[in-house]
Amino acid sequence: MSNHIVENLRKEIEAFKIDENALKVGHVVEVFDGIAKVSGLSDVKSSEMVTFSGGETGVVLNLEEDTVGVIILGDFSKIVEGDEVSATGKILEVPVGDAQIGRVLNALGAPIDGKGVVKTAKSYPVEKVAPGVVTRQGVDQPVQTGIKAIDALIPVGRGQRELIIGDRQTGKTAIAIDTILNQKGQNMICVYVSIGQKDSKLRKLQTRLEEGGAMAYTIIVSAGSSEPAALSYIAPYAGVAIAEFFMDQGKDVLIIYDDLSKHAVAYREISLLLRRPPGREAYPGDVFYLHSRLLERACRRNQDYGGGSITALPIIETQAGDLSAYIPTNVISITDGQIFLETDLFYKGIRPAVNVGFSVSRVGGNAQIKAMKKVAGTLKLDLAQFRELEAFAQFGSDLDDATKRQLERGKRAVELLKQPQYAPVLTEHQIVSLYALVKGYMDDVPVEAIKAFESGLIDYTDNNAKMFRKEVLDKKMWTDAGEAELKKAIEDFKVNFMTL
Amino acid sequence: MSKLSVKNIAEAIYDASHDKSGNELGLVLKRSAQVLKDKRMLGKSKDVLTALQKMIDKKTNTIRAKVTTAKSLSDQERKKIEQGIKEKYKGEVIVSEFFENRELLGGMRVEVENEILDTTYRARLEKLEKFLMK
Repeated sequence: MSNHIVENLRKEIEAFKIDENALKVGHVVEVFDGIAKVSGLSDVKSSEMVTFSGGETGVVLNLEEDTVGVIILGDFSKIVEGDEVSATGKILEVPVGDAQIGRVLNALGAPIDGKGVVKTAKSYPVEKVAPGVVTRQGVDQPVQTGIKAIDALIPVGRGQRELIIGDRQTGKTAIAIDTILNQKGQNMICVYVSIGQKDSKLRKLQTRLEEGGAMAYTIIVSAGSSEPAALSYIAPYAGVAIAEFFMDQGKDVLIIYDDLSKHAVAYREISLLLRRPPGREAYPGDVFYLHSRLLERACRRNQDYGGGSITALPIIETQAGDLSAYIPTNVISITDGQIFLETDLFYKGIRPAVNVGFSVSRVGGNAQIKAMKKVAGTLKLDLAQFRELEAFAQFGSDLDDATKRQLERGKRAVELLKQPQYAPVLTEHQIVSLYALVKGYMDDVPVEAIKAFESGLIDYTDNNAKMFRKEVLDKKMWTDAGEAELKKAIEDFKVNFMTL
Repeated sequence: MSKLSVKNIAEAIYDASHDKSGNELGLVLKRSAQVLKDKRMLGKSKDVLTALQKMIDKKTNTIRAKVTTAKSLSDQERKKIEQGIKEKYKGEVIVSEFFENRELLGGMRVEVENEILDTTYRARLEKLEKFLMK
């Protein structure tokens, strides 16, 4: 045994080589709040990684006449004036590999979950130019979130960037978690990037994902609120670098940035400390580029380039529903649509509190399966009309039959789209319940019984409309025979349900 | 009006003084000191001198080197090192300072501008330590 250890050590030492090249070095002129001004380092590049004499890593952000501004990724309390800083010649990289799946990593890719070393053979640069036009293809495959309101009305496609936006405590993270939970068996790797979140929230989320079996295909990248702003700034880029590794293998990846408001705040802090001129809301001038270059890396590659995809779900927290603030407008314009969550709806009990009127998906329609497209086609319009009529109906009591019918349908639609947290619904089940709604089978079911009707109907059709289910699963659309079978099953179930 | 930088002042002093000598040079330097006083930049005089030195070194192609070894070097060895530096950095004048530091154990460390060539045993051992720690 001891011979074995000695032998291994000898091999290790034999593999050791010293690179005797001259190093480019500089010296720390001043250090404050996670920033170091370094003199020397004449040939250093922007975004280049540098190492301090104590072993800490930094990234060059400002190239000035006599000094360079470096953000320190780690503990800056030990760095003192005069310390030697050496250039590495490398752009900041994070380790990437299959072994990272199921792990919680920090912004530099090191494990923080206490489960030991993550063995990886490759590294990817955190800053990379987004894939070009020739490598891409249109978004045409859905990401099933398992949330009825989203899958039916604001569908998200693989390679899309869909913003989740809303005030605090409106269920933004809940949508992200539900989406991750629903990816089981959907051939999707998930990367959850937590930026400036409390460690307790992260722990809760990790436990939830573990309980749902979702850590088997999920990686969490975290830059906590107690860590320096530099790490919060790097975290989303590190996350997308990890996602790119899987995309390069032809896999589909879902990445969630929770949240980019805190990311922008961290970048503002760094920029102000680096003495960059402040602009609107004190954010620096390049805050748009900060997010656009990140989100542009989400894409769907064509078959010639491996066919992988990165779907991005950035999260933005608004203040008192103000969508016209600087960061929300920026990210709304960058993304391919937004899911808008509202406090009022949340407290009315409509959960997920998605405002269907303000939410859009610019490419989603192409990404829905045919069957879903068919049932959800008129639902959005119906709901918009319902909201308008609902406001109008409060003023008068005499309503014509058509209006009354529309109001009743709308109430049932709203009720049907309510969904508890951590309970994603399978696509085929969503199709069955939405079919029953849009074809009017629920019109005479009392609103308070809609939930019971839905769950009963799903159980019943699972056993009595097997052909329909198989067609939707295999061919993504039903045939006339399948539809007839479903209709009969719904009618049979309804007779039983109404007599109870 | 933009603020004068240390580099601006050093450039101005160099331009005003490089072709002067004797009393004329003395007058230019006296006026330069007066400008520093008027602009309230006397506190930065050390930085101005460093910038001026760098500028002069660049114009005269002077290379400044700092060589640290574990034990003292003979004149012949020093000359050989200076010759090596002259060839590598293509300088005309070499101004070198030699230091002794027993803690380096062996080898030498050469610092030229912002480049360091460290072949000391101590640095090698530190690298080996880091390698084994991985």
